[in-house]
Amino acid sequence: MHASVEQPHGEQDVQPLLVVRDLQAYYRTSHAGVRRAIRAVDGVSFAVRRGEIYGLAGESSSGKTTLIKSIAGAIKPPLEIVGGSMEFAFLPGYGGLHRAPPAQVERIRWRHLSYIMQGSMNVLNPVRRIRCSFTDFAYPHIGGSRQQFEQQVVAHLSRVRLDPSVLSAFPHELSGGMRQRAALALATICRPGFIIADEPTTALDVVVQKEVLGMIRGIQRETGSSVLFVTHDMGVHAHITDRLAIMYAGRLVEEAATAEIFRNPLHPYTQNLIASLPRIGEDAPRAGLGGAPPNLADPPSGCRFHPRCPLAREICSREVPVMREAGAGHRVACFAVNGDDGA
Amino acid sequence: MVVFLRDLLRYRAEFRIGLVLVAVVLLLSVLASFSPYPPDSVYVVPPDLPPSLTYWFGTTSRGQDVFWQLSFAIRNTLLFGGTVALVSRLVALAVGLVSGYKGGWIDRALMSVNDTFIVIPLLPVLVLFYFVMRDRISWLMLALIMACFGWAYDARLIRSVVMSLRQREFTQTSLFSGMSTRQVLTDEHLPYVVPILFSTTMNNMVWSIGLEVTLAVLGFTDINIPTIGGMIYWANQHTAMVAGIWWWIAFPTIAVIMAFIGLFLLAVSVNAHIDPRSRLWNVGEAS
Amino acid sequence: MSGYAGYVGRRLAQFLLVVFIGINIAYVITHASPIDPVEQSISAVTSFGNTAPDAIEQMRRSLRELYGLGGTPVQQYLAFWKRILSADFGPSLSAFPTPVGTLIGRALPWTAGLLTVSTLIAWVLGNLLGGLAGYYRQSRGLKLMGVIAMGLHPIPYYILAMLLLILFGFIWPVLPISGGATMNLPQTLTPEFVWSVLQHAILPALSLILIGVGSWFLGMRSLVANVLAEDYVVYAELAGVRSWRILTSYVMRNALVPQVTGLAMSLGGIFNGAVITEKVFGYPGLGSLLVDAVYAGDYGLVLGVTTISILGVSVGVLAIDLLYPLLDPRVKVS
Repeated sequence: MHASVEQPHGEQDVQPLLVVRDLQAYYRTSHAGVRRAIRAVDGVSFAVRRGEIYGLAGESSSGKTTLIKSIAGAIKPPLEIVGGSMEFAFLPGYGGLHRAPPAQVERIRWRHLSYIMQGSMNVLNPVRRIRCSFTDFAYPHIGGSRQQFEQQVVAHLSRVRLDPSVLSAFPHELSGGMRQRAALALATICRPGFIIADEPTTALDVVVQKEVLGMIRGIQRETGSSVLFVTHDMGVHAHITDRLAIMYAGRLVEEAATAEIFRNPLHPYTQNLIASLPRIGEDAPRAGLGGAPPNLADPPSGCRFHPRCPLAREICSREVPVMREAGAGHRVACFAVNGDDGA
Repeated sequence: MVVFLRDLLRYRAEFRIGLVLVAVVLLLSVLASFSPYPPDSVYVVPPDLPPSLTYWFGTTSRGQDVFWQLSFAIRNTLLFGGTVALVSRLVALAVGLVSGYKGGWIDRALMSVNDTFIVIPLLPVLVLFYFVMRDRISWLMLALIMACFGWAYDARLIRSVVMSLRQREFTQTSLFSGMSTRQVLTDEHLPYVVPILFSTTMNNMVWSIGLEVTLAVLGFTDINIPTIGGMIYWANQHTAMVAGIWWWIAFPTIAVIMAFIGLFLLAVSVNAHIDPRSRLWNVGEAS
Repeated sequence: MSGYAGYVGRRLAQFLLVVFIGINIAYVITHASPIDPVEQSISAVTSFGNTAPDAIEQMRRSLRELYGLGGTPVQQYLAFWKRILSADFGPSLSAFPTPVGTLIGRALPWTAGLLTVSTLIAWVLGNLLGGLAGYYRQSRGLKLMGVIAMGLHPIPYYILAMLLLILFGFIWPVLPISGGATMNLPQTLTPEFVWSVLQHAILPALSLILIGVGSWFLGMRSLVANVLAEDYVVYAELAGVRSWRILTSYVMRNALVPQVTGLAMSLGGIFNGAVITEKVFGYPGLGSLLVDAVYAGDYGLVLGVTTISILGVSVGVLAIDLLYPLLDPRVKVS
C-alpha cells in the first residue's frame, strides 16, 4: 500500500491521504447538435496530507466545484473523468471513487469521506426530523443498539453546542445558525478521515462564519481528519487553512503553505488576488485585473492566464507551464517565475 | 422566437408528433369550406352506407356524409375551444399578472377567489345553466360561460411565473440600470410568460373541448350546430353502435382524440423546452 | 399548535368562501334566466302526458314557491339561502311525491364510494409509478408507461368511458356495462350483492382510474425530476444513503407534497368525470340522477344535486387540506 502511493514533486510526507494526479474532468454536451467539451478541470495534481486543512482558492468558474465533485465521486453526465487519478489512502488501487465497486464506495462514504456542502441550510430533508437524518446517514456505519447510537449523536451534538432536543425538530424549526451546526455535526459524526468542505461559510454572516470555522477547526483537531477546504474567500483561507492551492481556469497555478502564499505570492494571478485584499489603514485604490476569466469551452492556448498577465511573453501563448518547486514546499506554474525551460 | 420554434421542431419528438396531429385536424376543419352539402341539411345522401370510395367515412342514418359532417364538426369544436381559450386567457392573464406583481392583500384576495373557481365542480353548474336556458342556449353563450370558469388554474400558473420573475436578480438589475417598469415587463418578462401562455392555451382548449363534447353528447348544447359531441349525440339517438353503423361514432372519436393528444403534446413539449433543467436532462441522455 | 389552528382557520374560511360563491352562482344562474323557469318546467313535465288542470295549477304554485319568485329581490335571495341551508328542495317532480332529499340520499353513497375508491387508487398508483419513472429514467418499461400516460391523460372521461363500453360491452362482453348491481338482488350485505356491486363498479372505476393514473403519473414524474436536483437529495447521495431510502424518504416523500395540493385542486374536475361516467354506465349515483332530472324537467332535483355537488366537493377539499400538515410539517409556521 505504501509503495503504491507516490509523492508528486517531492513532498516530505510519507503517506498523504489523497493524491490527485493529472486529473482531467470535462463536461461533454451535444446540445443543438453541436458537440462541446468544457474543460473545467484540465491536468490538476496535488496531495492532501494527513491531519491538515488543505485550501483550494479560485474565482467562480475556475473549476473548483468540478474538482471536488470528481473527488467526491459525484460524477453524473455531462461531467466525465477524461484522464488522471484520485487515490485515497483508504481506497487504494482504484484511482478514484468512480472506478471502485459501488458496494465498497457505499461503505466508504460518510465513514471515511464526508462532505460539508455549499449552502448547508438546504442539505437537511425538510419533511424529516433531524434524528432521521442522523439515522439515515450514520447508523449503517456506526451500528450498535439504537440507544447507544443516540447517545453518541447527543454527545457529538454537544461539540457543536446543540441541545439534544434538536433531534426531534424539523429543519424549518431551527434557526439558520443551528441548522448550519446540525449539518456540521451530521458531516462529522462518523469521525471521517477526509472531509470535503465546499464553501461552507459563504452565505453566512461574519459572526456565524467565525463560529462555524472555529468548530470545523476544533473537530478536525480532535479527530485528526484531513479537510479539503474550498472557497473563493481569501480571508477564510487565511483564517483556517494550513496549505493553499490557487486554481485558475481549470488548472493549479500555485501551491504553498498558506502563510507563505500571503507573504510571498509568486504567480502573477496570485499576486493580484492577494493585492486585491483590503488592508486596514491603507487607502490606495486597488488595482483590478483586466479582462475576464476565459471561456473553458475554448480556453486560451498555452498558459490560460496569458491574455490577462502583465508578465506574459511569447512562450506563454505557446506552451503550458508546469508546476515547479520555487522554494521549500512552494510550487508555481509560470514561465516568468520558473524561466523558459519550464516547458 | 424563430430559434425557439426551430429548436422545438428539431429536438422535441413530442412537438413534431403534436404538430402533425393538430395539422391533420386543422386541415380537416379547413375542408369544411369546400363541402358540397350545407352542414344542417339531412337526407342529402343515401343513409347508413359504410365507408366507400364515394363516401370515404360512410353516411349517417340521417342521410349525411360523415366526412363532410366531421369537417364541419371539428371546425366548430376547434372554434369553440379557441374562443373559450382566448377569452379565458384575458382573465387569467389579468388576474395572474395583478396578483403576481402586486402581491400583498390583493394577491391573497384574488387567489382566494381563484381557488374557489378551481374547486367548484363545473359540470353540474353548466347542466343547471342548460336547464334554465334550454333551447335558448347558444354556442357563444356556452363558450363565454365556460371562459368565465376556465381561467383560474392558469391564472395561478401565470402568477407563480411572475412571482419567480419578480424575485430574480435580472429584474432588480434592469430596474437599477434605469429601465422603466414597462420596459422590464415587455423586454425581460414577456419572453418567459409567452411560452407559458401558449401551453396553457393548448391545455385550456383540451379542457373546454372535453367539456363541450360531454355536454353535447348529453344533448345539453345547441344540438343543431354540428360539433364532435353533437355528432356522437345524434349517433347515440339513432343507436348507431347497436345498429352496426360504427363509422358514425368511430371517425369523430378518432378525430377528437387526435386533436386532444396533438394539443396536449404541443403544450407538454413547450413546457419541457422552457424548463432549463429538462434541457440538461436531454444533454445527459445524449452523451 | 397555534400555527396549526391558524392554518385550520384559513382553510375553513376558504371552504366557506367556496360554498358561498358556489351557491351564489347557482342563484344567479337560476334567477337571471330570461325565460320563466316555472312555465318551462311545467311544459317539460306536461309534455310527457295528460295532467289534470288543477294538478298543473298546484304544481305552478309550489314551483313559484320553490323558485322563490315571490317578493322583492332581497326576499328572493334570502328565501333561496334558507332553502339551501335547510336542504329542503321540495318534492321531486319526476318521482312525485318522493322528496328530492331522499333521492339524493339514495344516490350519494354510490357516487361517494365510486369516487373515493377510484380517486385513491389512481392517486396512489399514478404517484408510485410516476415517482419510479422519474427516479429510474432509463427504464424502458417506465418510459413506455410515460408514453401511454401522455396518450391517456388528455382524453376526456366521456370518450374513454365510451371506448371501454364498446370494448367490454360489444367486442368482448365479459363485464356488466350498466347499473350499480344486479337488478333483482336485495340491497343487503350478502356476498352476492357485494360481488355484484364490485363487478358493476369495475368499468366506471376503470375509466376514472385510467385517466387519473395518467395525469398523476406525468405530474409526479416531473416533480421528481425537480426534487432530484435539491441539495438534500444530492447530499444524501454523497453520504451513501441507500438508494431505496433516498427514493422513498427523500425524493418521493417531498414530491408528494404538491401532489396532495394537486389532489385537492382537481377534485372538482374528477367529480365532473364521475358525473359523465355514471351516465355512460347507468351507475345509480348523483351523475345519473342529475342528467335524468334534466331530461325529466325536475328543477328541484337539478338544483339539489348541483348544490350537493358543490358542497360535497368542498368538503372533500377541506378534508384533504386538513390532512395536509401530516405530510408537510412546514405549514405550521407559515
